Amino acid sequence: MKPLTEFASRFGGKVALNPEFILERAKRFYLLNPALRKVARGDFYYSGLYLGKIKNGTFFPSFNFLNMVVPFAVNKVVLERKAAWLFICGRDIFRRGIIKLMGSKHRGDFTLVMNEFGECLGFGVVTGNFEEEGKVAVRNVLDVGDFLRREA
Amino acid sequence: MYGLMSGRDFFINRYRQLGWQFKNVESRQAIRINQGNAKGKNLPERLRLLGVMLQKVPFLEFGYWIEDSKVSAGATAEYLLGLYSIQEAAAQIPVTLFTAPRGKHVLDACAAPGGKTTQLADLMNNSGVITALDINKNRLAALANQLERCHVRCCVVYNLDVRRASGMNLRFDKILLDVPCSGNFAADPQWFNRRTLQDVERNAKVQREILSESTKCLAPDGEIVYSTCSLEPEENELNMDWAVKNLGLQIQTVDCLGVDGLTEVFGKRLDASISRCRRIWPEKTQGFFVCKMKKRAELP
Repeated sequence: MKPLTEFASRFGGKVALNPEFILERAKRFYLLNPALRKVARGDFYYSGLYLGKIKNGTFFPSFNFLNMVVPFAVNKVVLERKAAWLFICGRDIFRRGIIKLMGSKHRGDFTLVMNEFGECLGFGVVTGNFEEEGKVAVRNVLDVGDFLRREA
Repeated sequence: MYGLMSGRDFFINRYRQLGWQFKNVESRQAIRINQGNAKGKNLPERLRLLGVMLQKVPFLEFGYWIEDSKVSAGATAEYLLGLYSIQEAAAQIPVTLFTAPRGKHVLDACAAPGGKTTQLADLMNNSGVITALDINKNRLAALANQLERCHVRCCVVYNLDVRRASGMNLRFDKILLDVPCSGNFAADPQWFNRRTLQDVERNAKVQREILSESTKCLAPDGEIVYSTCSLEPEENELNMDWAVKNLGLQIQTVDCLGVDGLTEVFGKRLDASISRCRRIWPEKTQGFFVCKMKKRAELP
């Protein structure tokens, strides 16, 4: 539970999670609805909504969990179409690609990265360079293109 | 012995005996809109703006053929966000044959890579439970990726051979048996060079084992949907005939693409109810076979 709430707080918000429905197995966190809780055996490979994992002491969120954080997060950047495409290709974000900036501009803070339709594409770390055109404003940490890279 | 029972001419001659004149067919790429994720997002229009031209598949509620595309349909943000899945049109049929699956406990017996599992979850509106099994651990990562990409919440996955499913001590309201099969030439250009009748018979035996074990896990009023992408009657009508005669299953009428299942195969007469199965010869889609079954009611 704690790694999830701590991770969410880095976006400037507080996510509401019911510990009763969260299951940790092999350092992976899952959200199980009551029907699943009733039937899921301990030796499952995957169950319910996957929330993320701990690897080398660091929490790595799933995209499901990022979506759960969206309504509570303060730090968000909204990208124009081309920047959104480059972001899901694994690229960092430049100031000129951001059409809306919400929340922190402080170096090292996390920010959710959204497209023009309000969909979460991933998250990044603020570099603080929001004034200079040619510099990276948000460094890519995780983007939905990861689904393709995982299978490569 | 099987050296002669393979090759293009051998199989084409078999299809002729079954009443179908061979024609070359290329499989068309299709997508399925995930209703739960794409609701209110006008996905066809979003894809059109990306250069993906869609044509509605007339026999599917949420299926579209890709007519033309300037981008890879499997690499758009919309795909990665789970708004749609790439799934061949005929492969979208089996899941739609279940009656009212919402809130039920469904077994997806051979689930990986998960196209039908995510389709089930969408049709179930993420309610109830899907127990998804696959024998091959290496394929489970792909299944888990699909579940995460499509935001599926109601599924539990086990690395388990469905032929051991009764050991789970569970009864399922619906069972999807999209069984491992020999495939067909429309989905694999090298199919005629790869397959022999021996492969077909080996697969048919495994399929009967799967049918037999799954039936033990079926709730009294439950439904089984059996499907293959094989055109070979050993994996289709002959197995269904065996299931009717040995497992106490009854074939149900379904309304979907395809022609009646064959009731006479290479001179062997089958149970008349086999005609309720649907055989889809390759034409608009790849080849496919579907059948819905229930347990026969006990006589008083």
